[in-house]
Amino acid sequence: MANLLWLQGGACSGNTMSFLNAEEPSACDLVTDFGINVLWHPSLGMELGENLQRMLRALTSGEMPLDIFVFEGTVVNAPNGTGQWNRFAGRPMKDWVADLCKVANFVVAIGDCATYGGIPAVAPNPSESVGLQFLKRAQGGALGASYRSKAGLPVINVPGCPAHPDWITQIVVAVATGRAGDLTLDEFQRPKTFFTSFTQTGCTRNMHFAYKVSATEFGQRKGCLFYDLGCRGPMTHSPCNRILWNRQSSKTRAGMPCMGCTEPEFPFFDLNPGTVFKTQTVMGVPKDMPTGVDKTGYIKLTAAAKAASPAWAESDIFVV
Amino acid sequence: MSAAVQTLDISPVGRVEGDLDVRVDIQDGVVVNAWTSAELFRGFEIILRDKDPQAGLVVTPRACGICGASHLTCAAWALDTAWRTTVPRNAILARNLGQIVESIQSLPRHHYGLFMIDYTNKNYASSPFYEEAVKRWAPFTGTNYEVGVTISGRPVEIYALLGGQWPHSSYMVPGGVMCAPTLTDITRAWSILEHFRRNWMEPMWLGCSLERYEEIRSYDDFMAWLDERPEHANSDLGLFWRMSLDIGLDKYGRGHGRYVSWGYLPHEDRYNKPTIENRNASVIMKSGVYDGAADTHKLMDQSFTREDVGHAWYDEPGHLHPFDRTTKAIAKNDVDHDARYSWSVAVTHDQDGRLEAGPLSRQLIAGGRHGESWQHYDPLVLDMYKKMGGASVMLRHFARMHEGVKLYREAERILREFRLKDSWYEKPTERDGRGWGATEAIRGALCHWIEVEKGKIKNYQIIAPTTWNVGPRSNDGSRGPIEEALIGTPIADPHDPVEVGHVCRSYDSCLVCTVHAHDAATGEQLAAFRTA
Repeated sequence: MANLLWLQGGACSGNTMSFLNAEEPSACDLVTDFGINVLWHPSLGMELGENLQRMLRALTSGEMPLDIFVFEGTVVNAPNGTGQWNRFAGRPMKDWVADLCKVANFVVAIGDCATYGGIPAVAPNPSESVGLQFLKRAQGGALGASYRSKAGLPVINVPGCPAHPDWITQIVVAVATGRAGDLTLDEFQRPKTFFTSFTQTGCTRNMHFAYKVSATEFGQRKGCLFYDLGCRGPMTHSPCNRILWNRQSSKTRAGMPCMGCTEPEFPFFDLNPGTVFKTQTVMGVPKDMPTGVDKTGYIKLTAAAKAASPAWAESDIFVV
Repeated sequence: MSAAVQTLDISPVGRVEGDLDVRVDIQDGVVVNAWTSAELFRGFEIILRDKDPQAGLVVTPRACGICGASHLTCAAWALDTAWRTTVPRNAILARNLGQIVESIQSLPRHHYGLFMIDYTNKNYASSPFYEEAVKRWAPFTGTNYEVGVTISGRPVEIYALLGGQWPHSSYMVPGGVMCAPTLTDITRAWSILEHFRRNWMEPMWLGCSLERYEEIRSYDDFMAWLDERPEHANSDLGLFWRMSLDIGLDKYGRGHGRYVSWGYLPHEDRYNKPTIENRNASVIMKSGVYDGAADTHKLMDQSFTREDVGHAWYDEPGHLHPFDRTTKAIAKNDVDHDARYSWSVAVTHDQDGRLEAGPLSRQLIAGGRHGESWQHYDPLVLDMYKKMGGASVMLRHFARMHEGVKLYREAERILREFRLKDSWYEKPTERDGRGWGATEAIRGALCHWIEVEKGKIKNYQIIAPTTWNVGPRSNDGSRGPIEEALIGTPIADPHDPVEVGHVCRSYDSCLVCTVHAHDAATGEQLAAFRTA
């Protein structure tokens, strides 16, 4: 049996909702088939008030073992580093987080808020929010860059806004079943198995990307969303087009530009005027290139692509 | 001789979304006074100020991961009214479908995951229904809990067909939607609905066909249905009803008895040129204010909205319309139950005072004959309300679950109404102006106000259903709806006050949506609040 505690800081419950969409395994399977003992969860736990406070104290004192600590949402430090703007069970949540991370075997950050700060940390970051070990690209966060859990690992970061249910359940099962050694983490402490390929990998609009055929407006039945509509699929690490969402689709398949939500800078350009759903360009060339492509290469590539583009690429392809 | 008053501070009340602390005064085992405190502040409107006009489409769904489609709906319609767009018929249908499937998802998820597990509390061990309740509804291991929680993920697969994923797509945009579904998408959506109906709604929840359930139009019809067959009495609805009566959930959780709904689901042929003024006459589910004591219905209008901050952690005059507020957060948020004790403001109706939002409100308003003749009418819950002596924990939850069949039917209708070869989007011209977008999230009235100036957001404001419900005392001292509903609640065990949980959860409270600030100070000035 692995004891799991799930808490939320500056959160919207989106990752909890995503987690409950899991099917193989489902949230209930984790408990019944994989021996995970969910001590408490803000949306699902039985206890309230003093009964929960007693449990939390048993965990922080070491009286009860904490195998996996899952955190969703930001660590709120406002005002002035006190954390009083997010109180839970009688004290600032940031203090619970600090104490629980000292006793936890493994710590898993679920979603952008817990990994990088996410939406609450967008300027001016009124709640002084940080992630557990990062704020955007900067290491540190709430626990500090050198933090290691009792099992010797840094925080395992599962980003995304929200994280996909399979990313959550597979990491939790890996840790609970003694396979943490199989996890390799990248520079942002993300499991490489999910965050090495690109959102574009498997996108149904790849041919249109290749021939530089653009979806110039929403609601079109053809075209790539990268050239005009601000899609970040070619420079975002995620398996969204390999492990589909809700077993059905992905943003880019449905005609919505990828917003790069598994990367530390999300939301990009701080949502400043003119940056939402519009590709940012300099002299007609995108500011952000597909990962690893330089400007000269991009200009050559797209010129050749345009020249080679077949006539069919300009007509509707996702037809009724 | 009166017994001493015992004060109970409950931190946290879980299974509401976000952080809720409740203080209750108990005398003779019954709650005589109550205070609800929202304990998390993220400041989404501060973040939105000076950003791209469309930033709300990205940010506001993240205000709440549970009703993100509802936030997205409001954000899109707010921009539509500000930019004076044209919204194609297909786009209205596609937006409504997203809203509906999110709400349908929430029914089994809240019912099993958040609400029914309290029926397995040791307090009810002497109930004749207890053993069956534990077998069905125990967390994670209950037979029906597992089915209900798992199948709740299916309806939002339809959202993914439209928007790519649930939660947190931004597929609704001013001028329409981003998607252009094909026959495959429509067929899959239909099949997902059917699966949900055949595997949960009919066999497990109702114990009968949707058609039979739809014949229930009054309290007496419902009681006759309950006795008609063992399948009805032993369904999850039948058992919920019988056990709720047995453990007294029809006896408390009343509240003020005044209710609000913005109405929702704009009709696909009536709101293609959306304005703030023509919304009431364009929505399928009509808006309204219902006063239970006077038994009167009237339409609701956004201009009646006022916010009081005298008991919340903001420093400004109260009783302002959201467009006129200049909220200033108080950095030092000490709880003082005689003064300020919550991040939630007290929302009031300028004429009718504190109002309750939620499915019960929607259903009481659906029983009114006000509004347009073509708008939706359903007398059942209003009849139950009158026959059962007003609101209660039990009726509030029943009203929520009652909406499932109606929403299912509307989803079916939308799938028939899509014209796949027609347009889904009409590119708008960006402009400055004021807009307002509203809907009914599963847990009640939600709306956004936006002011765009010089191509960026000058002011963005959200009033969520739980803001109506969980707000603190208003400036005139009157309690918020949940505070009021807690009065009279019997507490069997002060060390495990499950009854307080029942009341709060019957509102399906969502604290994460509730708390917001939209002060006129810049981020830099906000820093000036910081005390050394």
